[in-house]
Amino acid sequence: MIAALRYEFLMQIRRPVMWIVYGLAFAALVATMWPAYRTLDLGSGGGHDPKLAMVVSAKVTMSLLAIVYGCLLADRLIRDRRLGVATIMDASSANPLGRLIGKYAGVCAATAAPIALAFFGRAVVYAIAEGKAEALAWSVPVFATAILPGLAFLGALALAGPLLMPPLVFRVLFVAYWFWGNLIPADMMPTLSHTIFAATGDYVAYGLFDRGSEGGFVYGPWPDAALNFLRPVASPAVAVLWMGVMVALAAGILLLARLHAARSEH
Amino acid sequence: MKPLDLWAHELRRAGPAALAGAPALVLLMALLAILGARLGSRESTTAFMLAGALEWVIPLITGMAAASSLGRDQAVELQLTLPVGYRSTVLRRLAVMAGWTGLCAAAGSAVLAVGGWWGLVPDAPGGPAVQLTWLAPALWLAALGLLASAAFRSTVAATTTVAFVWVIELMFPGPLQASLPSRLLYLFATTRGMVPDDWTANRVVLLCSALPLVAAAWFLLGDAERVLGGETE
Amino acid sequence: MRIQLSQLTKTYKGGVHALKGIDLDVPTGMYGLLGSNGAGKTTLMRILAGLLRPTSGTVRLGGDDVTTKEGRLAVQRTLGYLPQDLGVYPDLTARQFLDYIALLKGLDERPGRRRRIGELLEVVALGEHADRRLKGYSGGMLRRVGIAQALLNDPRLLIVDEPTTGLDPEERIRFRTLLSHLAGERTVLLSTHIVEDVAQTCRYLAVLAKGRLVFQGDVGELVSRADRQVWTVTTSGAAPSTGRVVAALPHGSGMRYRVVAPVPPDPMARPAEPTLEDGYLALMEAAAPV
Repeated sequence: MIAALRYEFLMQIRRPVMWIVYGLAFAALVATMWPAYRTLDLGSGGGHDPKLAMVVSAKVTMSLLAIVYGCLLADRLIRDRRLGVATIMDASSANPLGRLIGKYAGVCAATAAPIALAFFGRAVVYAIAEGKAEALAWSVPVFATAILPGLAFLGALALAGPLLMPPLVFRVLFVAYWFWGNLIPADMMPTLSHTIFAATGDYVAYGLFDRGSEGGFVYGPWPDAALNFLRPVASPAVAVLWMGVMVALAAGILLLARLHAARSEH
Repeated sequence: MKPLDLWAHELRRAGPAALAGAPALVLLMALLAILGARLGSRESTTAFMLAGALEWVIPLITGMAAASSLGRDQAVELQLTLPVGYRSTVLRRLAVMAGWTGLCAAAGSAVLAVGGWWGLVPDAPGGPAVQLTWLAPALWLAALGLLASAAFRSTVAATTTVAFVWVIELMFPGPLQASLPSRLLYLFATTRGMVPDDWTANRVVLLCSALPLVAAAWFLLGDAERVLGGETE
Repeated sequence: MRIQLSQLTKTYKGGVHALKGIDLDVPTGMYGLLGSNGAGKTTLMRILAGLLRPTSGTVRLGGDDVTTKEGRLAVQRTLGYLPQDLGVYPDLTARQFLDYIALLKGLDERPGRRRRIGELLEVVALGEHADRRLKGYSGGMLRRVGIAQALLNDPRLLIVDEPTTGLDPEERIRFRTLLSHLAGERTVLLSTHIVEDVAQTCRYLAVLAKGRLVFQGDVGELVSRADRQVWTVTTSGAAPSTGRVVAALPHGSGMRYRVVAPVPPDPMARPAEPTLEDGYLALMEAAAPV
């Protein structure tokens, strides 16, 4: 498992094309979100609180760079089959589930590295520009709780999805899913957006880090939205629940991927 | 003009999975148009979603297909030795894919026309110009996908680029329409708001600006050695 | 079609020297190009097919210079090419795939094209499978589809790169025989690292090693490179430490070794008749840096 993790991490992180695409995406993000990305307040005027600034930075990072993360992962598992490596791996003595987890962890960690770099880089710039070193302290728990669980789920989804359908179809559906299930307002149409199943980390932002505290905003059910039973009022317990849901979904998807592979081996 | 057989082979070569997306979308649109009211969707919401399906999803399909054009070609080495230039083949494939998706989009547009849904979309023009709702962004994203595919020589990188641009355009209509140049290049002017007088100019600029993207891709595809060196990861 | 290469070099980005000053003259007929993996064979084949541009030197095929656009196009019109990794389109049948490639080769007239495809499918013994999708084909069948597509335009030059790799012995023999029959009036350039393929089909050959041409001539000449250098040693002890052991067979309670070495590897060594493989190994030993 450790060997698979290390190998996959190095394979992915050395791909120049990954860094080029992230670089272009980050440049587009900054250009489009300017000046909100500079103030980190999304227009609310709260950008001078380092904790809220880091929460907003996490929101921006997840909303846009996660699509890059998912798309870049979408060929990693099927690549082994295409190159004929899968058969060799299957013949090895390593535990297939352990290998899958190692591969998942390695390739996801490498693909998330540019996101971490963008997020922590922004935290450093914020700390220097605003003279608030505590932003660096806040950035670590915000990244761990608001970004990582979502990436864990998306990574599993993007790796396993192309096993079930042609990669081209999966990519179209994945992008459409990301927009429909994570970005649109909840009252636009029946959607998973802003529910406990959305991967954008809003429940952590509002439940753990009090993002809505300044304006007295309560995050939860939307007026006139369908599926509101999936939108409990944000609280620390619900934030933890959201993290649990993301990790459980990731584990479930990986298990299904292993079962699918085991079935196709016979 | 190559014989019709060649175009038919290209259609078959694309495979059912690549061709199924657009008709599936039109079927969903038809179902939504018929069942929208029974599902509790307001008329204006249904109209918005139907127009959105055309203006958002059709370009996503064409863009992703174009972005996969080099990476999905298993016989690229053989193709590059044939007297017909490979870039002509790539453009023919793009035309086949865009033509098929366009045919489906026209059927989807007919669904909106028959049900009178276009009238409920505030920024939609009347007459045949309404087809530019999907045509302009579809061709523009297809051109971008082709260029990304030729530049990166990697399906993953090219499709990620298209996906990212698509999401950015959908998420930030405000900032992207703040200045005239970016407003004229905005992809989803019918459903995400637009200065009314700029709609036609926006569509024309999109169509015209797709040309240099295709030209750049054409230039890159002319280098056989470069094309052959791709998709190594 | 005669192939003439003069001082041909190819250096890839990153400074990898794939070909170093190749001078080669290939006559009409079957011609073998031998070399270990990484010797530069595929690079040379790709340059001849117009896929890669040489860094320097000249490449003339039947009077056309493939380093120019016009020359490349002229060659590609009369070229049949079977790449090492032939990709196909899995959703097409063999007949459709051949029809598609034929159209791209400029065979626009439908009845003639279909007749030609029918003939070639019979030549490669795929007539009864012609309407099955390629995704269900075995490796050997795909190779035969590959050779059929290469012959569609009745090429004057046929380039086949490692065509028998991965084929079972029966398929390999069938493929070799097919290639030999195709030679005649055209030039068939067979690139391979399998010496036996060349031994069974070619009269003339060239050998590449690490980007350099280390031999060109007829098969007998290469075999003679191992004259008085091939030995058999029967022993119950350790394998001979001098020279290169090319075969080891159990013999009674001991082993019988076949060894290529410039001097007898053992006092009990007996001289043996060299084969092409022995000649190739002797050449490689001589070409290897000390």
